[in-house]
Amino acid sequence: MQEILFLIPALPLMGFLILSLAGRHLSKQVIAVVGAGVVCIAAITTIWLGINFLQTPQENGAYTVTLWRWMNVANFSCSFSLRVDALSLVFLFVITFVGALIHIYSAGFMKQDRDYARFFASMNLFVCAMLILVMADNLVLLYLGWEGVGLCSYLLIGFWYETTANVQAANKAFYITRIGDTAMAIGLFLLFRELGTLDIPAIQNAAPEHFTKSSPLITSIALLLLAGGMGKSAQVPLQTWLPDAMAGPSPVSALIHAATMVTAGVYLVARMHAVFQLSPLAMNITATVGAVTLLIAGCSAMVQTDIKRILAYSTISQVGYMFLALGVGAWSAGVFHFFTHAFFKALLFLAAGAVIESLHHEHGIFKMGGLKNKLPIVFYTFLAGAAALAALPLVTAGFFSKDQILWYAWSANGGSPMLWFVALAGAFITAFYTTRLMLVVFWGDVKTHIGEPPGRLMTWPLIILAVLSIVAGFIEWPHNMLHVTLFSDVVQKVLPAVTEKEGVPSESIFQLIAVVVTLLGIYTGYLLYKKNASIVAKWKLVSALVGLRNFFFSGWRFDQFYHTLFVRPFVFVTSLNKQDVIDKIYAGIVSMFQWLNGIFSVSQNGSMRTYVISVLIGIIFILALQFFL
Amino acid sequence: MNHQQLMALLPFMVLATASIVIILLIAFRQGHTVIQVTGFLMMCLVIFTMWYVRDVLPQTIMPLLIVDGYGALFTGLIIFCVLVVGLFSYIYFEEREENPREYYILIFLSTLGAAILTISRHFISFFIGLELLSVSLYALIAYLRTRNNAVEAGVKYLLLAALTSAFLLFGMALIYMDAGSMDFSAIAQKLHTAEQSSPLFLLGFSLMMIAVGFKLALVPFHLWAADVYQGAPPPVASFIATVSKIGVFAVLLRFAQELHLQNNHSIMTIISVIAMFSMISGNILALRQQNIKRLLAYSSIAHFGYLLVAFLPGNSAGVEAAAFYLIAYAVTILIAFGVIILLSAKDKDAERLSLYRGLFWEKPFVAIVLAVALLSLAGIPLTAGFIGKFYVLMAGVQQQAWLPVIVLVVTSVIGLYYYLRIISTLFADVSVAIQKEKRLHPFFYAASYAALVVLVLLLLGFGVMPAIIIPGIKQFLLIGN
Repeated sequence: MQEILFLIPALPLMGFLILSLAGRHLSKQVIAVVGAGVVCIAAITTIWLGINFLQTPQENGAYTVTLWRWMNVANFSCSFSLRVDALSLVFLFVITFVGALIHIYSAGFMKQDRDYARFFASMNLFVCAMLILVMADNLVLLYLGWEGVGLCSYLLIGFWYETTANVQAANKAFYITRIGDTAMAIGLFLLFRELGTLDIPAIQNAAPEHFTKSSPLITSIALLLLAGGMGKSAQVPLQTWLPDAMAGPSPVSALIHAATMVTAGVYLVARMHAVFQLSPLAMNITATVGAVTLLIAGCSAMVQTDIKRILAYSTISQVGYMFLALGVGAWSAGVFHFFTHAFFKALLFLAAGAVIESLHHEHGIFKMGGLKNKLPIVFYTFLAGAAALAALPLVTAGFFSKDQILWYAWSANGGSPMLWFVALAGAFITAFYTTRLMLVVFWGDVKTHIGEPPGRLMTWPLIILAVLSIVAGFIEWPHNMLHVTLFSDVVQKVLPAVTEKEGVPSESIFQLIAVVVTLLGIYTGYLLYKKNASIVAKWKLVSALVGLRNFFFSGWRFDQFYHTLFVRPFVFVTSLNKQDVIDKIYAGIVSMFQWLNGIFSVSQNGSMRTYVISVLIGIIFILALQFFL
Repeated sequence: MNHQQLMALLPFMVLATASIVIILLIAFRQGHTVIQVTGFLMMCLVIFTMWYVRDVLPQTIMPLLIVDGYGALFTGLIIFCVLVVGLFSYIYFEEREENPREYYILIFLSTLGAAILTISRHFISFFIGLELLSVSLYALIAYLRTRNNAVEAGVKYLLLAALTSAFLLFGMALIYMDAGSMDFSAIAQKLHTAEQSSPLFLLGFSLMMIAVGFKLALVPFHLWAADVYQGAPPPVASFIATVSKIGVFAVLLRFAQELHLQNNHSIMTIISVIAMFSMISGNILALRQQNIKRLLAYSSIAHFGYLLVAFLPGNSAGVEAAAFYLIAYAVTILIAFGVIILLSAKDKDAERLSLYRGLFWEKPFVAIVLAVALLSLAGIPLTAGFIGKFYVLMAGVQQQAWLPVIVLVVTSVIGLYYYLRIISTLFADVSVAIQKEKRLHPFFYAASYAALVVLVLLLLGFGVMPAIIIPGIKQFLLIGN
C-alpha cells in the first residue's frame, strides 16, 4: 500500500508537466481531461488508500515511504519521504476530493478563457504542492510544498495578468505570506539547532525531552511557526492579502480557501502540536489570534458588497475559528471544522462563480437579486452552503463542527469565558451576514439581465458539495446527543485528546445558547434586509454608523495602516537613495578596470621593439629580485 | 640500451616515424585525405603502443630520457590534443589557399618535440625538445604565408624565441658551471649537498625561467601571445595553446620536482610574482578585447598564471592539481578553437566578436558548445574548469600562499566578465547571418562535430564527476615515484 503513496502528488505534477510543456498544442477537451483527470485519479487513489488505512491500521499509525535521499551533509540528512497518518489523510482527502470537484467545475467555468492550459497547469501544480506539504515526513520537504503553494497562489491570483490590479493583488499575497514564511524558516532553523533533526516524528519524540515546558526558547519556536501559519492562513495581522486575492478566477478562490493554501497554517499548527503543547503561552496566543481574527473579519464581512469579498472575509473568520480551536487544545475540533468548512466554502465560491458568470461578471450583491427562480440549482446549492456557514442547527455540517469549537472555547483546558464569548459573537455575525448575502442575492427583484445558466460540468460539483455540506457533519456528534465520534476516533490517533476543565456548566446549555444566537443572527438579517428594509436606510443617515460601516468595509483600515507604517517610510528611504550610492562603488570598480585595460593595452602595440624591451625588463626584474631576496 | 628501454621508447619512435611516413606519402603524391587519415591512424598507434608498453614503465634511458607515468600522462594528453587538432585541421586547410600536406610533417615534428620535453631528464634533451617544438612552430605559424598577419606573427615568434633560447642556453651553462652536470638528478644531488643554493645556480635558473616564461606566455614575456594567436591559423593557435604549453610546463614541473625548487624561497618568490602579474595582466587585457582569438590568448596568459599557483606547493597534491587543470584547460581550449575553425570563412577566420552576435539563433549547437567552453574557462561549476580551479586553489591554500590565492580569486571575477560578455553576445537577438557555405567535406564536418560533442561531454563529465579521472591521474603519477 505504501508504494502507491508517491502517486498522489506525482499525478498532479504529471498533469502540470504535460500541460505546461505541451499545453499549447492540445485541444481544450484534452487539456480539461488531463487537468481534471489527474486530480480525479489522485482523489480515487486517496480514497482507496484511506479505506485501506482504516481497515488495516498500521503499527506506527502511518504509511511511510522514502523515495530518495535528497541531501546528506555532515549530520544533516534530508530524504524525500512521504508519510500519511490520520491527520494527513483528512487533509489529503479534502485536497484531492474537493480539488477534483473544483477542477471539474473549472473545465466548464474557464472554457472561454484563452489560457486554458496555463490555468490547469497552475491548478495542478497548486494541488501537487499542497499534497507535498501535507504528506511531507520532514519539515524541509514540508517547506518545499509550502513555498510551492505560495508560488502557485501568486500565479493564479494574478492569472488575468493584463489587469494591473490583479497583478498587484498577486504581489500583495506573495509579499505578505512571505513575512510568515520567513518567520517559519527561522523557526525551522531554531528547531534544527536544538534538535539536530527536522524529521516530524523525530521532533515529536525528542521535543518533550529536550525542551523544558514553557521555556522562552520553545515559545519563540512555536510563535515563529505560528507566524508562518498566520501568513498562509490569513490571520490578523497578516490577513490583508486574502480579500484582494479575489482577483483570481472563482475556482482559484475556491481552491485557495477550501482545499489548499489557507488551511496550510492549520495543518502546520496541528502537525507541530508537540511543540505547541510545550508552550502554553504560544497556545494562548494562537487562540487569541484566532478569536481576534474571527471577530475582525466577521465585522468586515457584514458590510461588504462584493459577493466574493464577503466570502473571503468569511473564510478568514472561519479559519480564525480553527485557530481558536487549536489554541485551546481542541485539536480534533479544529481539524473537523477544516473538514466541513472545505465543503461548504468550496461550494459557496463555486456557486458564487456561477452567479457571477450568469450575470456577466457582476460582483456587487446589490446589483443581483431575484435569482431564486432563475437559477434554481445554484440557489438550492448555495442555500445548503450558506446554511452550513451559518451553522444552522442539526441539519448542516457547519453546526456540528462549530458547536464543538464553541463548547471547547470555554471548557477546554486552554479555554476561557472570554474566548467563548467572542466565538459566540462571531457565530451571530456569521449567521447575520450569511442571511444578508442570501436574501440580497436570491430574493427581491431581478436587477441585472441573467445570462445562460451554468452547464452540467459546473452544476454537478455544486450538487455533490451541497450534499456533503449537509451530511459531512454527521460523522461526529456532540457528546450529549449521539455517541457518534467517527472523526475524532480517527484523528485522535495522531492528535492529543482534549483535556477539559472542571466545573464548567453542562454542554447542553452552551448548545442551546449557540442555537439561539445563531437563529437570532439569521432573524436579524431577515429583519434588516427583508422584512423591514427601512431600518438600514435610516441608519445610513447617521454619520457615526456610516463611519463604522466604512471602517469595517475597508477591513479595519489595515491596508492604510500598513501603508503609513511600512510602505511610505520605505518609499521615502529609497527615494533618498535615488542615485544609488552603493552602486557608485561598483561603477567605480568597473571604470577603474576599464582604465587599467587601456593602460595595459598600450603594451600590445604590435611593435617588436616593445616586445623585446618587455622581455629585457623581465630579465632585469628577475635579476634585481635576487638582490633583494 | 636494453630491450625494455627500447620498448619504453616505442611510442616516441612511432611518433617520430609519423613525420617520415607523411614525407613519403607526399613523395608518392598522395592527397590530403590520405595524409589526414594516415596521420590520425599514426596518432592512434602512438596511443596504442603507449598502452602496450605500460608494464615496462618506468624506464630511465641514461642519460637523457626517463619514461615514467608522469611522462606518459603528459604525452598522452599531448597526443590526444594533436588528434583533435589534426581532425580540425582537415576542414580548415582543405578550404585554404595553401597546400596543406607539409603542414602535417611540421605538426608531428613539433609534437615530437613536446613529447620529448615531457620525458626529458637532462638539459640536452630539454633543449633539443624545445627547439624541435619551436622551429616547427615558426613555420606553422606563418603557414598561410600570403596573409600579412601570419608572416608577421611567425617572425615575431621566431625573433623572441631565438632571444629567449639564448638565455635558456646561458642559464643552463651557468648551472652546469655550478653543478658540474646537466643531469637533473645530478644537479639535485649537488644542490642537496651544498649548504645554500649558490648565486650562480639562482642566476642560471632565473635565465632559464625567461625561456620557459616565454613559451608559457607569462608576464612580462607574454606580449607575443596575442599577435601570434591572431596571426596563426586557428588549428596552429590551438596547438600552441595546448601541446606546446603542456610540454614546456611538464618539463618545468619535472625539473622543479627533481630539484625540490619549492624549498627555495627566492625562486618561489620569483614564480609567485610572475604568476600574479600573469593573472592580473591576462585578465585585464582581455576585458575589452573584440577579437576572440586575441581574447583567448589573453585568457591563456591568465590561465597559466593560475596554473603556477598549483606549481607553488611542489607536493603531489600540487602536481595532481596541475595535471587536472591542464587536462581541463586543453579540452576547453580545443572546443573554443574548434568552434572558431568550424565558423571560419574561406578567406577570413571567424575572429571578430561581432560575427558571433546572435549565433545561438543561427547555429544553436555551435553556440551552446562555445558557451559551455567559455563557462569552463570562467570556472563555473558543473564544468571541468571549475574543478580544475578548485584544485589549484586548494593546492595554493594548503601551501598558504595567500597573496597569489587572493589574486587568483579576484582576477577570476574579472575574467568572468569577458567570458560572459561573449556568451551574452551569442544570445543577442540581432543576428548577423554567417554565410551558409556549401559543405565540401560532409564526413569531416560530421567528424569535427562529433569531436566537439565528445569534448563537451568530457568537459561536463569531468566537471560533474571528477572522481572518474582523478584516481587515474594519481595512478599515473605514482608510476616511477
